[in-house]
Amino acid sequence: MGSGNVTLTIDGSRVTAPEGTTIWEAARSAGIDIPTLCHDPKLHPVAVCRVCAVDVENFRTLPAACIRPVEEGMVVRTDTERVRRARRTLVELLQAGQPPEEERRKPSAQDELAQLGGQLRSDPARYASTCSNPVAQQDLSSPVIAVDHDACILCDRCIRACDDIQVNDVIGRAGKGCDTRIAFDNDLPMGKSSCVACGECVAACPTGALTDLTLVDMGRGTAETAPGKIDSVCPYCGVGCGITYHVQDARITRVTGREDTHTEGRLCVKGRYGYDYTHHPQRLLKPLIRRENAYPKRPLSADFQDYREFRRSLRSPEWNDRIREIFREADWDEALDLAARRLLEIKQKKGPGALAGFGSAKVTNEEAYLFQKLIRVAFGTNNVDHCTRLCHASSVAALTEAIGSGAVSNAFQEVLETDVIFVIGSNTEDNHPVAASYMKQAVDRGARMIVLDPRRPTIADHATRYVRFKPGTDIALLNGMMHVILREGLQDDGFIAQRTEGFDALEPALRPYTPEMASKITGVPASVIEEIAVEYGRARRAMVFWGMGISQHVNGTDNARALISLCLMTGNIGRPGTGLHPLRGQNNVQGASDVGLIPRFYPGYQPADDPEVRKRFEEAWRTPLDPQSGLTVVEIMHGALDGRIEGMFMMGENPFLSDPNMNKVRKALQNLSFLVVQDIFLTETAEFADVILPASTAAEKRGTYVNTNRMVQIGRKALNPPGEARLDGDILVDLANRMLRMERGGQGEHGICWDYDGPEAVWEEIISLTPIFKGITYEAMERETVVWPLGEPVLFTDSFPLGRGGFTPVSFAPPDELPDEEYPFVLNTGRVLQHWHTGTMTRRARALDAISPEPFVELTPRDLACLGVEDGDLVVVSSRRGAITLKSKSSTRVSDGNVFIPFHFKEAAANVLTNDALDPDGKIPEFKYCAVAVERAVASG
Amino acid sequence: MLIDDLREIQARHGYLPDEELKSLSERKGIPLYEAHGVASFYPHFRLKPPPDATLRVCTDLTCHLHGACDVLETLRETVEYAGLDQWEVSGASCLGQCDGAPAVSINDGSYRSMSVDRLARYVARLADNEKIGRQPVRRRANPGLIDPYDHPLAAESLKQWVSGGDADRLVQTIRDSGLRGMGGAGFPAGVKWDLVRKTESEVKYAICNADESEPGTFKDREILYHYPHLVIEGVILGGLAVGAKQGYLFLRHEYDREREVLEKTIRAFYSAGYLGDGILNSERSFHLEIFDSPGGYICGEETALLEAMEGKRAEPRNKPPFPGTHGLHGRPTLINNVETFAWVPAILQRGADWFRSQGTNGASGRKYIALSGHVEKPGVYEIPLGTRVCDLIQDYGGGVSGGRELKAFSPGGTSSGFLPASMAEIPLDFKPLADAGSMLGSGAVIVLAEGTDMADLALNAITFFRNESCGKCVPCRTGTEHLAHMLEAVLEGNGRSDTLEPVGDLAEAMELTSICGLGQAAALPLTSALRYFPGEFELPRRHAANRRGEEAGGGSDG
Repeated sequence: MGSGNVTLTIDGSRVTAPEGTTIWEAARSAGIDIPTLCHDPKLHPVAVCRVCAVDVENFRTLPAACIRPVEEGMVVRTDTERVRRARRTLVELLQAGQPPEEERRKPSAQDELAQLGGQLRSDPARYASTCSNPVAQQDLSSPVIAVDHDACILCDRCIRACDDIQVNDVIGRAGKGCDTRIAFDNDLPMGKSSCVACGECVAACPTGALTDLTLVDMGRGTAETAPGKIDSVCPYCGVGCGITYHVQDARITRVTGREDTHTEGRLCVKGRYGYDYTHHPQRLLKPLIRRENAYPKRPLSADFQDYREFRRSLRSPEWNDRIREIFREADWDEALDLAARRLLEIKQKKGPGALAGFGSAKVTNEEAYLFQKLIRVAFGTNNVDHCTRLCHASSVAALTEAIGSGAVSNAFQEVLETDVIFVIGSNTEDNHPVAASYMKQAVDRGARMIVLDPRRPTIADHATRYVRFKPGTDIALLNGMMHVILREGLQDDGFIAQRTEGFDALEPALRPYTPEMASKITGVPASVIEEIAVEYGRARRAMVFWGMGISQHVNGTDNARALISLCLMTGNIGRPGTGLHPLRGQNNVQGASDVGLIPRFYPGYQPADDPEVRKRFEEAWRTPLDPQSGLTVVEIMHGALDGRIEGMFMMGENPFLSDPNMNKVRKALQNLSFLVVQDIFLTETAEFADVILPASTAAEKRGTYVNTNRMVQIGRKALNPPGEARLDGDILVDLANRMLRMERGGQGEHGICWDYDGPEAVWEEIISLTPIFKGITYEAMERETVVWPLGEPVLFTDSFPLGRGGFTPVSFAPPDELPDEEYPFVLNTGRVLQHWHTGTMTRRARALDAISPEPFVELTPRDLACLGVEDGDLVVVSSRRGAITLKSKSSTRVSDGNVFIPFHFKEAAANVLTNDALDPDGKIPEFKYCAVAVERAVASG
Repeated sequence: MLIDDLREIQARHGYLPDEELKSLSERKGIPLYEAHGVASFYPHFRLKPPPDATLRVCTDLTCHLHGACDVLETLRETVEYAGLDQWEVSGASCLGQCDGAPAVSINDGSYRSMSVDRLARYVARLADNEKIGRQPVRRRANPGLIDPYDHPLAAESLKQWVSGGDADRLVQTIRDSGLRGMGGAGFPAGVKWDLVRKTESEVKYAICNADESEPGTFKDREILYHYPHLVIEGVILGGLAVGAKQGYLFLRHEYDREREVLEKTIRAFYSAGYLGDGILNSERSFHLEIFDSPGGYICGEETALLEAMEGKRAEPRNKPPFPGTHGLHGRPTLINNVETFAWVPAILQRGADWFRSQGTNGASGRKYIALSGHVEKPGVYEIPLGTRVCDLIQDYGGGVSGGRELKAFSPGGTSSGFLPASMAEIPLDFKPLADAGSMLGSGAVIVLAEGTDMADLALNAITFFRNESCGKCVPCRTGTEHLAHMLEAVLEGNGRSDTLEPVGDLAEAMELTSICGLGQAAALPLTSALRYFPGEFELPRRHAANRRGEEAGGGSDG
């Protein structure tokens, strides 16, 4: 395409448009809308519906405006008599082919066909008698999407939505002529195909061919009368997709993606279909207090041996009876007073250090801030942490040390402007599906993507290169790459000289890591190490993405250090399309850390052990603060086990399932003398509580969240909390005031009475104490998408917070627990697409549970054969810490000698097996590597 | 190429098993839906294990005129009676044997002039696991002027041009000759050559479109069989002139005899140094391969043909861009019909003026015509362009068969619609036929004698287009279906007075908005029949015709 402009006439007006513009686009720019069914500016044009036909002078036929490029001097008329006739005929043909009204599904998106018919005053009855008989093919095999082939007009929008936008490549055309139909994979029912149920096709469908099953279930006509649409943010992962809640009769009937946000309307199966947990009958509706006779504490759910039993418990009234045996309902005053009193007793007896709090990365910034303030001010300790410790603590440690900031440098969308995407230790398609869609799109547009992982993640199927290496050998691999980059002279000497320090120490440290040596450790051929090093080294722009595969190791911080060095030595930072992106897990793990829900830092990463900083916060919070930095998640659990920690407050965290070495966690929880749990369901952790406080889901509250791109977004309230459940922030303020009153007698000289007029007021306080959020007011967020620091989507363009970026040489060290004769397999843990962490929400979402109902362990076909186990047979997986029984699943994503278990499932909890050995710097446990044994389960009666 | 991979899998298994498709998609890095979408598009790929025998009766226009329906029905009964339930019996789209109607395909081989009796004998032999031999080839109908040589490996034009020919002059000669595309569209060949030649690209292709599949069309079959050396020499010259080094001959699957002849000739050309690297010790190189069409009339549409070669569903592309600038794999590609290429050596040997002077009745040039239908001597004839239809029927075809009166004719294949006998003096030339609302098309004249049911014929033609529509665009996919249903209703006598009311709007929408020529022309058989024979569509007459048919026990003339 040239770069010049073209002038043409459209409906009598002169229009100038860049060469290569289509008639449709040019007309639109001139304010003329040409109707269409198959075209969507987000998708590449295919011009199959022909409804956008226009009259062009001297043309025999009517070209399709959506695909026909403008030409100099073209005379286009969009509304001649024959254009109108042709359009009306086409629409009549399509309308006549629709199933009868009473059998039609109500379109989930707009009923564009009917709308257009109305607009063109179509008379489909003319063709009614000559329609083919409907084939009555309703495909209801997917738990979330209904497919009605009879209503399909073959506009190919679903095909392109699946291909162009989500790059899942599931839908195509099959058959020919009037037998053509959309087909999933090799014409399988949708639910049996490789469809990941992201729902992008439903959003794109202009008829009732693809509809959200949930809406159908809610009854027909819902969308017309739906009174409420509330824009918000997805409550699941760190991508932070923009969503709209559709609410009717105080229920969420649908969720759609918001086109006007950074994710352009894209969602994944969780973000589109995983919301019914909020209406689940097991929601906690009243505060609960453990009955006197329910001591000593024991887990209620320990006897779930198989998933069917667990799933039954989700619906069974007996489960509620069992809860009532252990807990009694109480009113808020009693529950909060009891909590305040008991926590203060411990504080007085054992000192503030005997108390600790686990906050949550699922709550809003305001709530996370209030939580850490509660712990620091009322509990009087810095023992406050949350699950960030279990995900990117090591990454943050390395980043902070090297450049002075733990946040990502560039937005993931910048993959669309990079040359090489380097993905290591990230199962991106399952864990950050929408971010993955951008990566795949970038590859489709010509970027190269290198995926490195011991377990082949599905995103590797889209990569230009996948490299499998032995688990736990990341450092050898990265050092080997850096060795090659230096050997080939591909380092950026200018960048190293101007922007970094410590390079002199790096070079000798890399010297031993020849590709051959690295190959011996990693199992990757030396030539491959050389090739990927050269590819990364030569790239003008390269972006590095990583996930838990890097961070959850005893040398997680060293892994991240190596990645940082790789990036710094090639100058791949500080420009668009470059940088370091540790993909954030939880929807607000970035924000929770930003507002100080971590033991070593006050809000805004201001060190808790810095007297200057402390003084400022003491003034602001009008109370003396703990001068010591606090304990981290696993250290706190160790403390609970050895008696140093006696009282805990947990908000929205479920360490029973999420922390390593579950049997130890169980003992730790049992060991606590007092535990308050604030949550939406009675989690496995809450089973050990003394007091349980019913809290709110994301849909029930207002507040802000920070996504993986450092983007601060407002989540809005769509529902009221059910029963007597309260907003998390309100509970925290109430508890804080009670504790402060009890401890200091009334409001005391400090005049501490927490009183916030809603989340905006809390946010104002956060901004006033947190320089990184400067200028990011609710007003600004309502107006536009904002990142912190304000206006800096690309960080470190001129310098790093530490001035220069520092190289920290690292050397390979093996994982903590290597396989041996007794435990010959290596266990890797992680997630599946449909479930979120400990499954508290997702296992109570009907569709997600239906797609992914049960635990499994992935083994290679060869290992299965060696064990004499058939695919799907039950096996016992055991480690030095415990054993679980679950189904085997044959998979070539793992390699021989390696197994993978998702950790969501309490009935076969992977964390019974995992090793709680810690990374010395990040204090993150080694979830990704421990030695296990696998054997066929003995058939039980 | 994906098509080759699918073909290879089918050769091994007899069909395309799911597991093979899956592993193919992984190997090729293409989505599974794509492999399946392609496989399910083409008639020559099977997704299920094959039957013991496949018998397909061509039911398209000329065969229909010669009693194909009866043959198919009898065949079905015979096979059913014999309990051969592992056999597959079905209708087939035009097999390109209209001069031997009705034609039947038995296990992928074509058999001509198939009477009910002869077919019964074949069935019996097949059931006994006996082989059925090939039928003898008909002799050339009228040796024409197309071949300037005395022996098939002369290739004088190529020799002369390779030893110092100027590409511009060659293209100019073709331009001057007035040679037009002989596949249907009639686009001036020299202009196309010029365009491809002037489009800058490292890689270019030349493709010979040998995929004629329209009912009534079989002239390329004869040219390919009798003059393969001219076709190949034409492709080489065209390819070299535009700057291509690789050529393909996209051959319809059913032309197996022609494939053998072509393969042999290509081998001979390689041996003679006419093909390969350094042609005749010059700097020039050109390679030629046969690409076996996976089937379907739509593959003859040049952009659909390109899609097929690229391993996709043969759905015509939106144009522009045209293949001349963006063709195979996005490269400039010269695509011409078999006959277009075949005339090139003669034009170069005898000069542009010679070719131009060949016409009659104001036309210029010569053309191959496939003559079929109700005519005494159906076959392929080389005629001066401008020859009147009545003269063609009389002088070449020996008159309407059985001495009957002419009722109507189709001048350029099914898609050119029908013209009444009163217009039989029209010259077979591009412009006069276009002016008459028809077209010369590929030069397939179908003769219809007195007594032919025009509504029945219109349905037959529309059914062909419906069956062969690729389904990509709405007007063609749904339009052909509705037209067919309308005609069925009329013919079955259960239409209403307004059943055909929407035909005008529908035909117009199809003509104006379809992506390719198939949809644009598909309504013409009906609209032309309605125009010239409106009475035959009137309901009372249909009722009467049906009553007569029932009394006579059906049947059609042979």
